[in-house]
Formats: sequence, structure tokens, C-alpha cells
Amino acid sequence: MAQETEETRPDGARHETVPGDRLAPGGPRLALALGVGKLAGSTGRMLKVGGGTSLPGMIARFIDPNVLRKVIGASKAKKIAVTGSNGKTTTSQMIGAIGLANDLKVSQNRTGANMLQGVTSVAVNAANLRGELDDDLLVFEVDEGTFPLAIPEIQPDVVVVNNIFRDQLDRYGELYKVASGLERVIRELPASATVLLNGDDPLVANFAPDMRARRLYFGLEAQNLGGTVPEHAADTVRCVKCQHYFEYDAVYISHLGAYRCPSCGYARPKLDVALVAAEMQPQGPTTVTVRTPGGEVTLTMPLVGIHNVYNVTGALGGAYALGLDLSLASNGLATIKPAFGRLEPIQAGDQTVYLSFVKNPTSYNTILRTIRDWPGQKHVLAAASNTVVDGEDFAWFWDVEIEEIAPDLLTVTCSGLKAEELAMRFKYAGISDEQLEIIHDRPAALEAGLRKAGPGGSLFIFAGYTPTLELRRAMTERGWVPHVWEE
Amino acid sequence: MIDLKNMTLRICHLYPTLLSVAGDRGNLFAIQRRCDWRGIKTEVREVEVGEEADFSQYDLILSHGGADREMQLASRDILKKASALKDAVEAGSAFLAVCAAYQLLGHEYKPFKGDPLPGIGLLDLRTEGGSERFMTHLAMECDFSGQKQVMVGFENHSGRTYLGPQAQPLGKVVAGWGNNGKDGYEGARYKHVYGTYLHGPVLPKNPWFTDYLIKIGLEHRYGGPIELPALDNKAEEAAHAAALRLAMLNKGKMSAIEATTWKR
Repeated sequence: MAQETEETRPDGARHETVPGDRLAPGGPRLALALGVGKLAGSTGRMLKVGGGTSLPGMIARFIDPNVLRKVIGASKAKKIAVTGSNGKTTTSQMIGAIGLANDLKVSQNRTGANMLQGVTSVAVNAANLRGELDDDLLVFEVDEGTFPLAIPEIQPDVVVVNNIFRDQLDRYGELYKVASGLERVIRELPASATVLLNGDDPLVANFAPDMRARRLYFGLEAQNLGGTVPEHAADTVRCVKCQHYFEYDAVYISHLGAYRCPSCGYARPKLDVALVAAEMQPQGPTTVTVRTPGGEVTLTMPLVGIHNVYNVTGALGGAYALGLDLSLASNGLATIKPAFGRLEPIQAGDQTVYLSFVKNPTSYNTILRTIRDWPGQKHVLAAASNTVVDGEDFAWFWDVEIEEIAPDLLTVTCSGLKAEELAMRFKYAGISDEQLEIIHDRPAALEAGLRKAGPGGSLFIFAGYTPTLELRRAMTERGWVPHVWEE
Repeated sequence: MIDLKNMTLRICHLYPTLLSVAGDRGNLFAIQRRCDWRGIKTEVREVEVGEEADFSQYDLILSHGGADREMQLASRDILKKASALKDAVEAGSAFLAVCAAYQLLGHEYKPFKGDPLPGIGLLDLRTEGGSERFMTHLAMECDFSGQKQVMVGFENHSGRTYLGPQAQPLGKVVAGWGNNGKDGYEGARYKHVYGTYLHGPVLPKNPWFTDYLIKIGLEHRYGGPIELPALDNKAEEAAHAAALRLAMLNKGKMSAIEATTWKR
């Protein structure tokens, strides 16, 4: 097997070559990997079984494990990687939209296919068989567990870390393990890279103080939006330095906010990119003013909720670090649609379905609090299943503040393999037997939920990863929403 | 005998913020709701690190699980509360201790790597950290509440707990690994102290256990015997049955997730 060597190209980019492969610039193995990967993607789309969001990457890596490295190494595109527990998809989409508004050719992994296969699929879909791609900007949403493996291959110019929340414990074990994985990789980034850290998250703000890369903090400085006491589901409420409980001048979501330790003085760092004002209508739009080192930006977007205020602040920070013209961001975000499964409105005849993918207490609580301000009582379809991806442990559901929204709920239909657990949780939150119904089959549960919502009514779906895909597929079959890969 | 509707169950939630992983606060919700539905009042006092309490004032003490860092902090603090907790238990207060709290009620917890953490020795047991995690659904047969019952839940621990002569197991494992994966038992009990590794959280899916704790808690305050009126347990029994099915399905597996997609 020929030795791989490193070679420095005239423009300074480094990539690996295999001597003897000069006939096809990327090498025959690479061409095969890309070709078969692309074929798998289009076949999947044709047969409507999959859309080229992960499969191409998986197959390509099987043929050539270095496929992503090689394509990245040969490319002149700027690269940005977004990670963290919540908000990756929306933040990445926002950055992509700002890139497009800047007239750049952008490729990114959509729909949350954010593990190694999904990240690799970006390259497989965008590159030609010689491994060349002509994009100006590559935006990678990267799952926080995959980050340590993906970043050395992507070699991003900019990294955005949104937040760290406790996901179901049986997937990633402890909070601190995930954090140290991210921190380790960030520490290794070169001085030419920039890292945007959410300063409002004490765990994230404390990452790798000795990093070589440029360090920028983003967060919120609009105290009228926050409270002063963190909620129950908050994770890092203790000082990361001395373990004393934090006090907050303003807390916005879970443990995110303007914290300070009354014991050792550790406090939120000065923010480089900060939201200074926001006007939020309950059902949108949201107008934000964000301060960056390059100036202030004001824009209006259709997305709602404080979580999206964080997402847009992080996205503007990332766009600034990429050198994009932020005055064009307004155009880019004016028509941005909610990402797949993020209070995604789907028109079902004369009814509206709001599809929300929920996977941890914080994302669930955030969505519940967002819709609590919407008028009228709500019909809910809650679906959860235990699968390899969703995990087995659903105890975290008891950390969701269902009690807060229970008085607003008219009916709750529970579906999925864990329907009984869901129903029990809702019962203990104050929902009566008459309001609750268990229908395991997802399409049947969808029918029932819509029937209860009545003509012109709305149905709110809260679903785990697998049921979200299943329900969306059911809605695609009814023609209400295109296939996930056609977006 | 005074009317149930004039009774108040006094609960102490020990380390409600420090030890609060895995939705265990659902145990408190289960107790409170099942009291509400019977017209019984509840009072909850939260006791955190650095706070003192006369635990004998409480009918039921609850404490739950946490990660390593949290457990270290709890260990240092619970030693200061040790004699107050022991007095309460000897005088008949009930105590439900889950996971980290369960381990801290023992003599000692020796992590896989690092120095041993002292416990308060309220339960005659000790725990050693192992290199692998027992992470799966569990079902066990229990015989301490007056009739044979099945308890179900989700265990997730690398600690292996060994009981001494003064502690009885909580139940005999039917599916799952239990205290140490070897002796076939899960949890521990002594007087009215109940320790277990079961998350879930454990009480909502085992309404017989919740009602038992409410009963002995009220008897601690008002004398016994107390008969609790039955409640409609359809939802709980359905969740129980589903969990039992999962436990049987996963019998023999160390982890209910054999391969997570993010592992290389």
C-alpha cells in the first residue's frame, strides 16, 4: 500500500496525496467513493427511502475513509462548524442563509444529519468525481459527540459552540464528558481559526482558556427578556471554578444568562457579539439588534422564541468571523423558515400542524414556553419511542415542566413505543383520563389528533427523533410537506 | 383515627438541586399527586448542602442520583448530617434513596479510579466502581409491603453494591443486573429505609410502592394502621406492563443500547 504523504500546495493549503495517483487528481479510490456515494444518494431519493443526507457519506467513507479529508484539503471554501446541544440546525441554516445573501455558493448538511456520515455527505454531494468542489462556503452542523472525530477532518476556519445541555443520559453519559471532548478539540485548533463561544453558558465560556485560535464570546444583553432565577432543569448552576451556586443578573433559558459567582467572582466574560435589543411577537416575527466588532445589525425574522434569539446572535457572530457582509444578513433571514422539526408549521388542508422535535428537557421547555403565549387551548400529539438513536431512558421527561402548560391543553394523544410512559407523565401533570388517549400507531395518532383539532384548528406535535421522521413521512404521503431532502 | 383529609405528609427532599439527574424529581411528583387525589396534604422541605435539619420531623425523606462531581460534594456534606439522619431513621422516618444517595447511605463508595468516598453507614453496604456500566431495564420481585409485588425501572450504574448482614435486599432480580450483577438482588432496605439503583423514575411506574411509602409515612405521624383508598391505576399499570416487557426483552444484555451510532 503506497504511503500517504503531505504536500503543501501553492496556495498554502495542505492535503495528502498518494504517489502514483496523478492520473485522477483525487485518486481512483476517491473517485469511486464519491461516485458510489452519489449513486446511493440519488437511488435513495428515487426510491423515496432516503435523501442523501447520511447514506452517501457512509458509503463513501467505507470505500475511502479519507474522502472528507481529501475533498476538504483540495477546496478553497471557507468552512464553519456549528455544535452544541440545542440550536445547531437553526444556527447553521441562518449562517447558510447569510452566506447566500452574500452571493456565495454554499453547501451544508441540512435536516440534522450531523454525525460523521452526514457531515461527509456534504462533501460527497457537492464535489465532482475528482474531489473538487466550487463552493465558497461549507457549513457543517456537527453533533457534539461526533465533534472530536469530525473537526480534524473538516479543519474549520470558524467554530460556533451554542450551549451544553443534558441530553438523555444513556446516550452521552455525563455533561462534563461531552464538554471535555469539545474542549480538547478546540484547544488544538490553529491560530488562524476563530471560535465563537456562548458566553452565557458558563461551561462553554470556560473552554480552553489557553486555545491558540481567536476567541469570541456571544450572548444576550437584553435584561428585560430574562428572569433572575434558573429553572429546575438547569444543569450548570454551580460555579465551574469553585462549585458555589451562581447568582444571575439575568437568566434567559435554563442556565444561560449573565451569571456571577458570589464566592470566587468568576463571571460571564465581556461579550464580543451581543444581542442588545429584541422585540418578540408571540407568533412572530422577531426583530433583533446585535452588536458585533464590525458594527450593529438590526434585522427581522419570522422565527419565534428566546432560543432563536440565541441562534441568530451566534449565527451573526459566525458570519462576522467568516468575513461576511452583515448588512446583507437582513435579506438572508427575512424569509428563513423554521428548520425541520422546530415548531415547523405544516399546512394540512385547512388545519395547521406544528411539528417539534424534542430530545431533552431544555428544548422541550423552550418550545412549551414559546407556545404558552399563543392564544387558545391546544391539542397535543406527543410521541416517543425507544430506539438506538432515541435512547432507552425517558426519565428526563419528568424534568420537563408539563405542569406549566397543562391548564392550556385540551387533548393529549400519546403515541410511539413509549406511549404509556408519556400518558402517565401527562396524567401526573394534571391531564385527566378523558383528555388522554393512547394510540401507538403514528399515522393513526396523527389522524386522531387532527380530528380532535377540528376544522381550521391546530395540532402541536412533540416527538422524539424517530417519531418525528415517521410523522413527517406520514404527512409527506398526504402531500402536506415535501420530502425532507427536497427542502 | 383522624380523617385522611386532615392529614399532612411531611416530606424532606435532600439535595434537590445537587442530586437531581434522570428525572428523579418525578418520585416527589408521584407522592404529591397520589396524596392530592386522596385529599391528603403534603409539605415539602428542601435541604441542600450546608443546611441543617432535624430530620425526625419528616415522615419521608427523598434523595436521588447525581454524577461523580455532584456525588463528591454530597459525600462531604452528608457526613455532617449523618447523626441527624440516623436518629430520624431509628425513630421511624421513611427514606427513599436512589442511585448516588443509595450509595452514600452505605459505608463507602470506592470509585474505579480515585479515592474512596465515605458514606454515612446508615445502610450496611459498600460499593465499588466497575469499568462497565449496567444500563438496562430491570424487573424484580419484592416482598416487603405486605404482598408480593413486581418493581420495574431503569438501572444505570457502574457501581457494584454488596450488602452486609444488617441490610436486606429490596428485591430479587427477574431481569437486569441489580446491585452487583452477581448475587441476583437489587437495592437494600433497613427499617423504613429503601435504597435502589432504579431510575425511571421508580415511583410513578410502581404505584404500589408509592402508596406504601405514603402509608408508612402517615403512620409515622398519626399511628396505624392506615388504609389508603384505592386509586384508578390504569395509566400506571400500562406503563408498568410496558416496562416489564422491556425488562424481559432485554434480559441478559449489559446495556439496552448495544451499539450507539456515534461509537466508532
